[in-house]
Amino acid sequence: MSSPSMVNAPTLTADMAARNRRDARNDRLFAWLLAACGMIVLVTLVGAAGSTLWGGREAFAKFGWHFLVSTEWDPGTDTYGALVPIFGTVVTALIALVIAVPVSFGISLFLTEVAPNWLRSPVGSAIELLAGIPSIIYGMWGLFIFSPFMSAHVKPWLVNYMSTQPDDGKVAWIPAHVPFIGKVFTSQYPFGGGVLTAGIVLAIMVIPFISSVMREVFQTVPTRLKESAYALGSSTWEVVWDIVLPYTRSAVIGGVFLGLGRALGETMAVAFVLGNAFQLSASLLEPGSSIASAIANQFSEAVGLQKSALMALAFLLFVVTFIVLLIARLMLRRLASKEGR
Amino acid sequence: MTDPAFSPAPAAEAAMVHAGNGTPAPAKITVRDLNFFYNGFHALKGISMDIPEKQVTAIIGPSGCGKSTLLRIFNRIYNIYPKLEAKGEIVLDGENILDPKYSLNRLRSKVGMVFQKPVPFPMTIFENVAYGIRHHERLGRAEMENRVEQALRSAALWDEVKDKLKQNALGLSGGQQQRLCIARGIALKPEVLLLDEPTSALDPIATSRIEQLVEELKADFTIVIVTHNMQQAARCSDQTAFMYLGELIEFDKTEKIFTKPNKKQTEDYITGRFG
Repeated sequence: MSSPSMVNAPTLTADMAARNRRDARNDRLFAWLLAACGMIVLVTLVGAAGSTLWGGREAFAKFGWHFLVSTEWDPGTDTYGALVPIFGTVVTALIALVIAVPVSFGISLFLTEVAPNWLRSPVGSAIELLAGIPSIIYGMWGLFIFSPFMSAHVKPWLVNYMSTQPDDGKVAWIPAHVPFIGKVFTSQYPFGGGVLTAGIVLAIMVIPFISSVMREVFQTVPTRLKESAYALGSSTWEVVWDIVLPYTRSAVIGGVFLGLGRALGETMAVAFVLGNAFQLSASLLEPGSSIASAIANQFSEAVGLQKSALMALAFLLFVVTFIVLLIARLMLRRLASKEGR
Repeated sequence: MTDPAFSPAPAAEAAMVHAGNGTPAPAKITVRDLNFFYNGFHALKGISMDIPEKQVTAIIGPSGCGKSTLLRIFNRIYNIYPKLEAKGEIVLDGENILDPKYSLNRLRSKVGMVFQKPVPFPMTIFENVAYGIRHHERLGRAEMENRVEQALRSAALWDEVKDKLKQNALGLSGGQQQRLCIARGIALKPEVLLLDEPTSALDPIATSRIEQLVEELKADFTIVIVTHNMQQAARCSDQTAFMYLGELIEFDKTEKIFTKPNKKQTEDYITGRFG
């Protein structure tokens, strides 16, 4: 083989030219293939949002803005408003987060910072198993075991000590002095289900998700970084709060919102324990309705305007989820600017 | 040099290995028969040495010889991991720091450490330095600003960062980040500063700045530096300890180690015949 000089361009042999053309063509094909895979995401999103919007067009046309603010949902008179299910969806998901986030923090920090090595992987696998339990099982557990427990033990206590209308008529100190709390825990509803129960069941469902994300994220904190903080005299708590959390912040918030997304859209477990009443109540002990559970309960019999109203509800679930993600983004941006980045 | 240590010491001397006989500086840290076990693996074997005050002591040796392990015992950073065990005595100012009753918080305010790669915390430059101080002292705003400035000045970083104290420390260059880590360490006003291969991730210019800084800092601190780089040990240390396979082979004045080592292994290592 003649060695081409570095200055003059080497003459291409026929073989090399063919090889170059083949490479270029393959790379182009590969890029198209990947682009097509990427497009699936957009097509699916637009398709699902578009078809629910299209299916709900009658309801949106008939009720207009009232669909968003009306609490009435009556197939008898064919009037539909989405406020009760939207409210129920957001409130149950928030209760779930309020409970699940601190517990998940505890689980994942225990597993990454405190637990002895032999315990880490069994508990870690157990979390992943919990995440794999179908939601219908949580729903059945909620209906047959947890709701009776709530009605026998938790609800009477809450009504007695937290509500403005306790059974014995004597209002306890907290509801008498803290505004609004009495309303939140007042209830005449005799069963164990309701908004609070649904929120707790949801919390149990999303804990495995949030904590397994957090665990993965906490494991990415470089050992050097933690050691540097320990070397300055930090305690474990200080290392977690000052170093691990800020370092992983955006991923942790991502994990929390993944859990929130799941809680917002969860259907079966909520349908079993929420009570499915279309009433707007400040009380967490009253039954309510969520978007997903309303759709699941009514879809099989719905026709005409009711079916359209359910489609419109589905579209609103999209919107709610989208708003939640948007808030997450904004929060991250504000935190980042506070840090001087 | 009028040092009597030039006469080769007999191989079977006392168990104690001295840094040159008749060193005037008193020992800041005295290590006595230190053994270290890592999951049952005997990583350090019967180490005894005196580390003199306000001097630079370098620890050299091939990878895996235990030099970083030894350094990490001086502030008991190994304590954050289970199944690591140190036996023996390390006496700092008359107290055995391996005693479980010795407060870790106090130890770490007396013994600062800088790691191999620069690891600024995910905060502003100012907060990086102030962070450690807050664990040990309550200072007013002005006082804190003063302390941070002092620390950054001693770490030869002040002029480069004084206008961007509120910016994230991750925006600094590697060399600047490492000097920030040194500033963070000396902000606590420790007595001992441990440097674990502090320049191995830096370019030659940043390295020479750090070495120059080490030279300046020894006026105030007792410095122990672990290094892979023999020229670095020769350039900036007063004593050098050579370790091999978990044992302290030789510990003497740096010039002695690099010109007339007593042991064959030391000579082989510094002349590049192994390691």
